Amino acid sequence: MKKVIKLTVNGMEKELLVDVHSTLLDVLREDLGLKGTKKGCNQGECGACTVLIDGNPVPSCSLLAVKADGKDVLTIEGVAEAGKLHAIQEVFNEKGAIQCGFCTPGMILVTKKLLDDNPNPDEQEIKEAIAGNICRCTGYAQIIEAIMALAGRKQVR
Amino acid sequence: MKPFRHINVPGVAEAVDYLNKFPGSSRLIAGGTDLLGVLKDDILPAYPELLINIKAIPGLDYLREDENGLSIGALVKLAFLARSPLVREKYKVLADAARSVGTPQLRNMATVGGNLGQETRCWYYRYPHGIGGRIQCQRKGSGPCLAVGGDNRYHVIMGGKGCFAACPSDLATALAALEGSIKTEGAGGGRIISIGEFFHPLGNALKAGEMIVELQVPPLPAGSRQHWLKYTLREPVDFAVVSVAVLTVLEAGICREARIALGAVAPGPLRALQAEQFLKGKEPIPEVLQEAAVLAVQGAKPLSKNGYKVEIARVLVLRALEASFAGHK
Repeated sequence: MKKVIKLTVNGMEKELLVDVHSTLLDVLREDLGLKGTKKGCNQGECGACTVLIDGNPVPSCSLLAVKADGKDVLTIEGVAEAGKLHAIQEVFNEKGAIQCGFCTPGMILVTKKLLDDNPNPDEQEIKEAIAGNICRCTGYAQIIEAIMALAGRKQVR
Repeated sequence: MKPFRHINVPGVAEAVDYLNKFPGSSRLIAGGTDLLGVLKDDILPAYPELLINIKAIPGLDYLREDENGLSIGALVKLAFLARSPLVREKYKVLADAARSVGTPQLRNMATVGGNLGQETRCWYYRYPHGIGGRIQCQRKGSGPCLAVGGDNRYHVIMGGKGCFAACPSDLATALAALEGSIKTEGAGGGRIISIGEFFHPLGNALKAGEMIVELQVPPLPAGSRQHWLKYTLREPVDFAVVSVAVLTVLEAGICREARIALGAVAPGPLRALQAEQFLKGKEPIPEVLQEAAVLAVQGAKPLSKNGYKVEIARVLVLRALEASFAGHK
């Protein structure tokens, strides 16, 4: 069974014919070619497939595309503007908060949501915000450090 | 995922209608965080032909408090419950339980109804069909429980019969301490099921064609305090090895009421009635609390590999009681 859905993806309106059993993740990656959103565990546990829907982070692997009909979707491709990296991306680069890069799109998006809601989160709030995003390279230290820097806080080690 | 049909329904009546028109071949979907896992791994002998999307039913995501207590619409998201100032202030164990589920991302989608209705996490039950074929068992209708002779480290230590899978719902544990119930709608009308009667060793009390529409919490005893604890292997993104929710009432230094609910140790949330009775009328001094914690796990019958859960449950009960009574000062 197929269905036509409308999505706003990174500010652009899209009308798509999708299988009703396709996840939003597969539609983003396969139909729209937006491969920045990663398929990790495909069970909603690792956070690599995180996108913002109407501003809130959700695991796109655990959402049927038809259920996102009419929604506003932000993927990592929509974070940089006019060819210029977002401040979060810049700081992740600077602080070495990226290694293999697989968790990075999800990490950047949950960070964006965190800072949109609360520009000055403390370390605990940062840890809670990224609790749903698994990173196997950095041990999280540089990621937390990067977000602390954005939040204008000095990390207590 | 294998194909299915998907329809949006405008109301509860239509959802129940479809469930009854397609008995055994339809499933409700709300947040879908649990169901999609079940479908991707194709764990059940019958794959649904139709998914009935109830997520867009208007007016089923309310949170209301009146003289009858708290009512929570089935479509309330866990993130909303966890953040609600009312719930955090008065129904702390519910907010804390909701906050302990999954990841922030999952809590943005998962609903309270789904948390109670989710499938068990038993790894034999959940074994993916794509890797050597699904595992049949009593819970799926026929066959022995492989957990009994197999790896049962996360299975029940009390109350198993035919199936030894533990209740995965954290909200159930919190609701048990609050003596809550579940309101349903079905073809023959609605009913109210107390949380203690909702879970069975082989599944839950929902009949074919019946759906959860509301959680209900009666008014709290005056002056009561609550505490929630959940033991997991890693802090976020994990199901409980053991969870505990307690509610206490202290008057002039004497315990007037104590409710202790244990989660993930049995097919449903379990009230430690003997320990509760023991505490009543006593001063909650350390020796008394230690004795109550021992009573709370008395009668546990662990399987071959989960004896450790008995000790974790005892310690969690002790710590939760200590914290709850400390809250009265």
